[in-house]
Amino acid sequence: MSRTAEVYVVGCGMHPFGRDESVTGMDMAERAVREALADAGVAWEDVGYAAGGSDVSGKPDTLVGRLGLTGVPFVNVQNGCATGASTVLAVANALRAGEAALGLAVGFDKHARGAFNASPARYGLGDWYAESGLMLTTQFFALKTRRYLHEHGISERALARVAERAFRNGAQHPLAWRRKPLTEREILDSAEVSPPLTQYMFCSPGQGAVALVLALGDRAFDLCERPVRLASLAFRTRRFGSFEVFSPWLPPGPHRSPSVDAAEAAFRGAGVRPADVRVAQVQDTDSGSELIHLAETGLCAHGEQERLLAAGDTDPTGRIPVNTDGGCLAGGEPVGASGLRQFHEVVRQLQGRAPGIQVPGDPRVGFTHVYGAPGISACAVLTV
Amino acid sequence: MTTRLIDETLFDSADPPRLVGARCTACGTVVFPRQDSCPRCSDGTMSAHALPSSGRLWSWTLQAFPPKPPYRPPAGGFEPYHLGYVDLGEVLVEARLAIPRAEIRIGLPVRLTTVEAYHDEDGTEVLTFAFGPDREGGR
Repeated sequence: MSRTAEVYVVGCGMHPFGRDESVTGMDMAERAVREALADAGVAWEDVGYAAGGSDVSGKPDTLVGRLGLTGVPFVNVQNGCATGASTVLAVANALRAGEAALGLAVGFDKHARGAFNASPARYGLGDWYAESGLMLTTQFFALKTRRYLHEHGISERALARVAERAFRNGAQHPLAWRRKPLTEREILDSAEVSPPLTQYMFCSPGQGAVALVLALGDRAFDLCERPVRLASLAFRTRRFGSFEVFSPWLPPGPHRSPSVDAAEAAFRGAGVRPADVRVAQVQDTDSGSELIHLAETGLCAHGEQERLLAAGDTDPTGRIPVNTDGGCLAGGEPVGASGLRQFHEVVRQLQGRAPGIQVPGDPRVGFTHVYGAPGISACAVLTV
Repeated sequence: MTTRLIDETLFDSADPPRLVGARCTACGTVVFPRQDSCPRCSDGTMSAHALPSSGRLWSWTLQAFPPKPPYRPPAGGFEPYHLGYVDLGEVLVEARLAIPRAEIRIGLPVRLTTVEAYHDEDGTEVLTFAFGPDREGGR
């Protein structure tokens, strides 16, 4: 494909994740957008197409009242954990279709404290499912992790290693929420939430906002010294036989996740192999999820994670650096912003200006992966 | 004390408890609870299908903190409880587990039972399905 038809990230902005009672979701989104526009060196009036996502913190397109009533087309997205990827997909497709040369994707959220609670009716389930205490995402993560450790002979210590690395990376990232390193022992000994997962192996719902400016072809190189190419972006829903959150029943295995489909499509679309990836973002709502997603996306083999983690291969200085900003574990999970946080971190890494620890050796290929209810996954390959 | 089942459409019978799902006449896929269309193929019709009452524990965990509503705690207040998936052969079913922690392990033979979910405002005890150790199984 010629450069003219390619979509690039040319600017990004991020409001710090965490808890800050002084700002609303919309306040954070506005700041992230203004930062992204300034980073790209463009004005809001230059944006020809926009998409925004938020799970609980307001209609994104009302941001035009703050940013300027330019008449820009603005699509609202509410797509669970794939919200961020869906906004990027909407903008990238609009640019490729010739609707505009410059677009903006924004995601934000501000959640109440504590685990998410979900409405059974919204997921097509009877009230009994929630009333009897089976409708918690935390349970799903624990049940899938327990089974996975059993099938692949992985120890609970590997789960602690995932969280230990997340908090170590987060401690050095100015935009992360959890900035205190924790030892493996502290993580293993923290309160039992849903074994084998302990308190510090789970991320928390939080708040934050991220925005990206995307540009087409030559415009991208006019604006940006080092634009980051969106080499591919694939979004998949579940197929029969996947093991998903909020499942009162499962078919007998094997269970194939939509993460497998999305990752395969993303790598195929970009024409790169998982082994080419030098900086990766993998959904880590909990330690077990990251561990499983590493293999489901093809970044390692099933059962290989224990050795990979023990050897430091997923550290920023390792063979395949994972969640260099601390991921969801250190950043928390504002659903609408979380997927775009992944893009933000990978883009900044590939441009050699990571806010936290910079991956050495000029990484050229980055990867992002999200997974969420009720069985969706989106993966992207970014290159410079 | 009067009792009732949490949702009668889940059960084929109450005593002894028996769960009912649905089976696709075309591809044989078994689902729980019942639904009118097959999630696997678009060809078949779904017919009521009573599920086996015993199986083996496939995965398990604990619910350590009180869930937010619409969860309803039992009359005596929230106590941590175990839950898991049970492999019934043709289908895996998610359920509460009435098994002591020391006994819980993947592969444990289990059998269907009921446990208190909560009480209605009029004092009626509401039962939901659960799996307990199958002392006869696994021999």
